[in-house]
Amino acid sequence: MDQITFKRVFKWGFINFFRNGVVSVATVLVMSLSIFMIGIVVMGSIFLNGVIVSLEEKVDISVYFKQDAAEQDILSMQKNLQDLPEVKDVKYVSRDEALRIFTERHQGDTVVLQSLQVVEENPFYASLEISAKDTAKYESIAQFLENSEQASLITADEAGQKKITFRQNQAAIEKLTSLLSTARLVGFAVSIMLAFIAVLVAYNTVRLAIYNSKEEISVMQLVGASNAFIRGPFLVEGVMYGLLSSIFTIAVFYPIFWWTGKKTASIFGGLNVFLYFTANILEIAAILISTGLILGVLSSAFAVRKYLRV
Amino acid sequence: MIYFDKVSKIYSPTSIALEDVSFTIKPSEFISLVGPSGAGKSTLLKMLLAEERPTSGTVFFESHDVNKMTRIELPKIRRRMGVVFQDYRLLPHKTAYENIAFALEAGGAPEEDIERDVPQVLDIVGLTDKAWHFPGQLSGGEKQRVAIARAIVSKPDVVIADEPTGNLDPANTHDIIDLLQKINDMNNTIVILATHDKEVINSLRRRVVTLDKGKVVRDEEKGKYVL
Repeated sequence: MDQITFKRVFKWGFINFFRNGVVSVATVLVMSLSIFMIGIVVMGSIFLNGVIVSLEEKVDISVYFKQDAAEQDILSMQKNLQDLPEVKDVKYVSRDEALRIFTERHQGDTVVLQSLQVVEENPFYASLEISAKDTAKYESIAQFLENSEQASLITADEAGQKKITFRQNQAAIEKLTSLLSTARLVGFAVSIMLAFIAVLVAYNTVRLAIYNSKEEISVMQLVGASNAFIRGPFLVEGVMYGLLSSIFTIAVFYPIFWWTGKKTASIFGGLNVFLYFTANILEIAAILISTGLILGVLSSAFAVRKYLRV
Repeated sequence: MIYFDKVSKIYSPTSIALEDVSFTIKPSEFISLVGPSGAGKSTLLKMLLAEERPTSGTVFFESHDVNKMTRIELPKIRRRMGVVFQDYRLLPHKTAYENIAFALEAGGAPEEDIERDVPQVLDIVGLTDKAWHFPGQLSGGEKQRVAIARAIVSKPDVVIADEPTGNLDPANTHDIIDLLQKINDMNNTIVILATHDKEVINSLRRRVVTLDKGKVVRDEEKGKYVL
């Protein structure tokens, strides 16, 4: 395509967009709805993932050691644990540190602090705080602890049950684990479905807009216009549909996320949608605009192709 | 030169649009295709434009078999044929000027040529003052004159007019036929006029090819409308 033809294709794409007035506005609005849906899907899945990860991080287990357990033995156990592939992090809390954390937490509570003084000796156990890479792995970590050589160092109750917090919270952790994996799966399925519907809606809208030009396309062919010269302006219109609808959608997202962020931050444990949105505005804009452009241009190309067959 | 060689178009055994049609159109000829509705006039013109393919036979435009053109070649050949239809077929979102300019733009003509030629043809068809009107703002006769201007602006070798006066009153019909004759006289452009208007044919006194039920039944120089 030579330069003058290229220029004319652009000129006519622009002029047609404005002369089609109502049809163009309607197309942009419906396409905005599609891009809005895709945007919500993208934001939603990123956000859901964030919530799941932050919940998972809150799950860990602690092992408490007998007061006479040597620090050296505990540290060697920490090292053994760290070598396990399932383990993400192991933190050692010594008896002194446990005491310090306790007094810090109860500062100003004179009754508690006084009773501590009455005991005189440090009543706390040294502990290891273990977090796993995956909440499903706690069972095997707990078993490893129970069967290890140093298991005798771990405090136990009268019934002989070792003091590992996982055993105490086992039911809750397992329930949460299955809940989170279901949430991930459902979130993914819903995203795919919504995105698919959004693409179909956008394609159909552009197709309808071009359907109006079916007669014109055949006239252009009879007058001797090449297929490329006929297709070009429609692709330019597709670019404009995509660009305008994605910009419009971003503008609409701004107040919506501001409002939901304010209302829901407390529910999601301090995660704020609006802060996430503004911090990643460039990436989100890039995703939405490229989605819009791809949708607009491909829909136009497919729709025109149908009427260009001689 | 245009040559129809044993052209047949058979949609189904009971619906035969054209049967074994052969005739030649010489350069600078003004030829009328006549016959009742359904005689095959439009089908024959569609074959020449390669809008439809013949079931058998060939249509030559000069040395080109128009139904063997590739998708790249076909638009180039079509730019050498101007077309005018009964229902005008203007582009509704383009002004009269833009509709005419479109035929030149499609061929990649430079802007200077468009700025020179479009006003010229607008003057020939007498619509200089309506250049910036959209088709919806023009009368039937005016629309048909825009269509003729579009057909002749790229200086084609042949103008194909399929029932161009079918929707027009006698006064406008007279103007359109006058224009077609003028085009034929001025540039030696071949004009193929399909019509079933008896008055038009009898006033022309040019070559008449009569079709009936898909067959050529008469071919006369300075013919009259006889059925």
